[in-house]
Amino acid sequence: MAGKILATYEYTPAKVEKGYAGKTLYINLSEMTIKEKPVTEKMKEIFVGGRGFGLWYLWNAVSSDTKWNDPENEIIIAGGPICGITQYPGSGKAAVVTLSPLTGCPMDNNVGGYFAPLLKFSGWDALEIQGKSDRDVIVFIDGNRGKVVIEDASDEPADTHLLAEKLTERYADSEEDKRNISVVSSGKGAENTLIGMLNVSFYDVKRRAVRVKQAGRGGSGTVFRDKKIKAVVVKYKGVTGDSNNPADKEKIINAALRLHKEIFELDKLQNRMREVGTANLVEVMNDYDLLPVMNFQYGSHPDADKITSKVFREKYFTQNVPDNCWYGCSLSCAKAVDNYEVKTGPYKGQKVCVDAAEYETIAAVAANCGIFDPEYVIEANFYCDTYGLDTISFGNIVGFAMECYERGIINKEITGGLELKFGNADAALELLHQMARGEGFGKIAGQGVKNLREYILEKTGADPKLLRDISMEIKGLEVSMYVSKESLAQQGGYAFANKGPQHDEAWLIFMDMVNKQIPTFEDKAEALHYFPIFRTWFSLQGLCKLPWNDIVPADNAMTDEPHKIPAHVQNYVDLFNGVTGKNITKEELLLQSERVFNFQRIFNLKMGKGTREYDMPPFRLLGPATKEEYESRAERYDKQLKELGYDIEGKAKEEKMTMLRQYRESQFEKLMDAVYKRRGWNKNGVPTLETAKKLGIDFPDVVELIAKYQV
Amino acid sequence: MKIVKSRPDLCTGCRACMIACSKVLYKVEDPDKSAIRIKERSGAESGYDIFVCNHCGKCISICSVEAIYKAKNGAVRIDAEKCVGCYMCVGFCPEQAMFVHKDINEPIKCIACGACVRACPTGAIYFEEQD
Amino acid sequence: MIKVNNEDLDFTDGMTVEDVLRIKKYSHPMITVIVNGKVIPVDSYSTHKIKDGDVINVIHFMSGGC
Ligand code: SF4
Ligand code: SF4
Ligand code: SF4
Repeated sequence: MAGKILATYEYTPAKVEKGYAGKTLYINLSEMTIKEKPVTEKMKEIFVGGRGFGLWYLWNAVSSDTKWNDPENEIIIAGGPICGITQYPGSGKAAVVTLSPLTGCPMDNNVGGYFAPLLKFSGWDALEIQGKSDRDVIVFIDGNRGKVVIEDASDEPADTHLLAEKLTERYADSEEDKRNISVVSSGKGAENTLIGMLNVSFYDVKRRAVRVKQAGRGGSGTVFRDKKIKAVVVKYKGVTGDSNNPADKEKIINAALRLHKEIFELDKLQNRMREVGTANLVEVMNDYDLLPVMNFQYGSHPDADKITSKVFREKYFTQNVPDNCWYGCSLSCAKAVDNYEVKTGPYKGQKVCVDAAEYETIAAVAANCGIFDPEYVIEANFYCDTYGLDTISFGNIVGFAMECYERGIINKEITGGLELKFGNADAALELLHQMARGEGFGKIAGQGVKNLREYILEKTGADPKLLRDISMEIKGLEVSMYVSKESLAQQGGYAFANKGPQHDEAWLIFMDMVNKQIPTFEDKAEALHYFPIFRTWFSLQGLCKLPWNDIVPADNAMTDEPHKIPAHVQNYVDLFNGVTGKNITKEELLLQSERVFNFQRIFNLKMGKGTREYDMPPFRLLGPATKEEYESRAERYDKQLKELGYDIEGKAKEEKMTMLRQYRESQFEKLMDAVYKRRGWNKNGVPTLETAKKLGIDFPDVVELIAKYQV
Repeated sequence: MKIVKSRPDLCTGCRACMIACSKVLYKVEDPDKSAIRIKERSGAESGYDIFVCNHCGKCISICSVEAIYKAKNGAVRIDAEKCVGCYMCVGFCPEQAMFVHKDINEPIKCIACGACVRACPTGAIYFEEQD
Repeated sequence: MIKVNNEDLDFTDGMTVEDVLRIKKYSHPMITVIVNGKVIPVDSYSTHKIKDGDVINVIHFMSGGC
């Protein structure tokens, strides 16, 4: 029966001390049980919080044989010690960890919205959900009353724009109270594909609208719906600047005021985050030939000026409202389009507020599919969000399918009549609706690029090598939106990333390709050691990465290591010490991340992956995979070959392509060796016993596991 | 409305205004809890700079929880109940006239009461009508 | 001939920093321009004249991506 209470748990909310509530809320949906678990000092010491806690709980919950849709799989949502402070920009993020349906390995996402801070102030450092319900449920956590209930949600809608709003209305006592609610939800798309994502809501007081941010990558929403969760709701009233109860608030305030002032003075001269969010990258990437166009074949397009931030700013973004996804973020990148009238599908004619559009989404759903229409971007963005679908994976799937269609590898028989030509926005949207309904070609395509490739191979007898070359996935996850062909370091950044090719581990294109600051293998390996580790740190703490380097101090260029943004790294040291009362250095900061980073690599190994072979990219990530691509940048490639000493006089294009391919593949292998070595891994990409020991993660089961891979 | 204006050349740095202000706002005599700040100039120039809110209202749109509002008397005020102590407004104040204290959640800012003006022995600050 | 980020670029008379940025399509908003080891302030990109043989580094900051 709808609304029926299936389980209740009453508790005394723990008071947050120095950034930790000291407890985890554990829910088992198979058994309908709710209990609390202590957060031990050892957990804090080794795993810190956020993604670290998530990986640790998941490690203990699953075995090597566990599949994503087994009841043992968990979804863990956790902030981290710094999460929830209101002063420093970007301090409200949640890490979401689960076994991915796309990769079979742990997936992590870092997502905004108010969930993680409100969860902590309700007394919980982490929420750990295991098991599978037999009917749709909502989990409601009331942090003021100290009550958790699981309710039957059979009659509730699944799609986020309906559900998040409905639940915000239901659980808030008044308009004023709405900002104290955050809803995690997904949608029908997540039920019927493997690329489901999670939306995390917050109430935008100024717009009087429920907004959502996405935990996008790797199918977390699919796991969520597979467990039959429609929503997890938290409610906590009473957030102040002291809710996180820091040990030394002054340290935090000083760092925060420095950054607010910097943003006030410099953002308008630098990235204009407050004005256009990340959309400004569209024009930048197009200019530098880095914008994925037509399934990553090309890096720019003459029509890209139709989807730049200028267009969105002038015609669509609602301006003059600070758009942050947690209190205190003056960088405010979270742009929105108000009052958008939906044009297609089941919600046609409704007026909605769309959280649109970030760079990744514009690049994926538009440029990568050869579509250059801003209204299509907003439409696709709206539907991906409400259906609970990852825009990056969606754009990759459509781009890949379109390329296969244009090359004659698949036809209308396979696509169920859809004319999947590049630029066909109607077909792309129809495919999106099919994914949500779990029908037709949409159902097949929704399984992700890797599975789609297998399907096409089976149905058509296409050339497997060509298909691998042009299917932009590694470890089963679709590649995020930067063309890495001319940056060896970025190729590594993508290919070696723990969860799969997402740029949040390393984003080195400019440093490598444009600035030429890391010319040697050792330089690149150092960058691929430092940056992935440093960037992991945000997800342990509940922090957003953007305020680290999307704004830099005026004198940053004069510092010793401008790319590390030394002044901001110092801010982070101050924040951590200010919150926890500890006294770490910036070296110890790195050590915190290096531990979790290596643990995640070893976790991949536990799941039967995590070795060298799983770090191999499709050739298109490294260079031109087809004649058309070579042709389009022939001057560049010819010149490179000549400079490398190849004799290309009178050589056919195919021969030149082979030369270039051999060269680039060998470079990539060398890079792999250099990076593995720098990271303290063996040639097979497995952390050595010494590395595990040095990092203090040499638990018996870890040692037993990695020992098998040491030669 | 009347706002506090200054003639820094007359300021002797006695900080009587700051004491008076903290008394009005927080019932303590603590210059660190004052909404007007006297700062000694550094470098070659001697004398003092005076920082105080001119009630321009630019901070109103900065706040994401609508905690800053224009009161009936025209003063720009902060609703302490709504404020989450994020200090964005402090960083974005063009006059640098908002201040923070670790024991106080909301920013410390002028409410245009005039106590500082009355306390000033030299006339370095004065009240002036402005629309 | 001048060098821009390690690559040759044809020198033309009267060329300014702004011209170099345009030719190279360096439109990224977070850059620092260094000519022969000296940082050029943003407000003089359009007036700072390049000499033949100058070595120019245009350092792009990374930003990007969530
Ligand atoms: S920079 Fe953007 S994503 Fe990051 S916390 Fe601020 S508003 Fe949220
Ligand atoms: S400190 Fe308070 S008044 Fe100022 S912007 Fe933040 S919430 Fe608003
Ligand atoms: S007018 Fe009142 S509130 Fe404003 S600075 Fe003077 S004493 Fe303080």
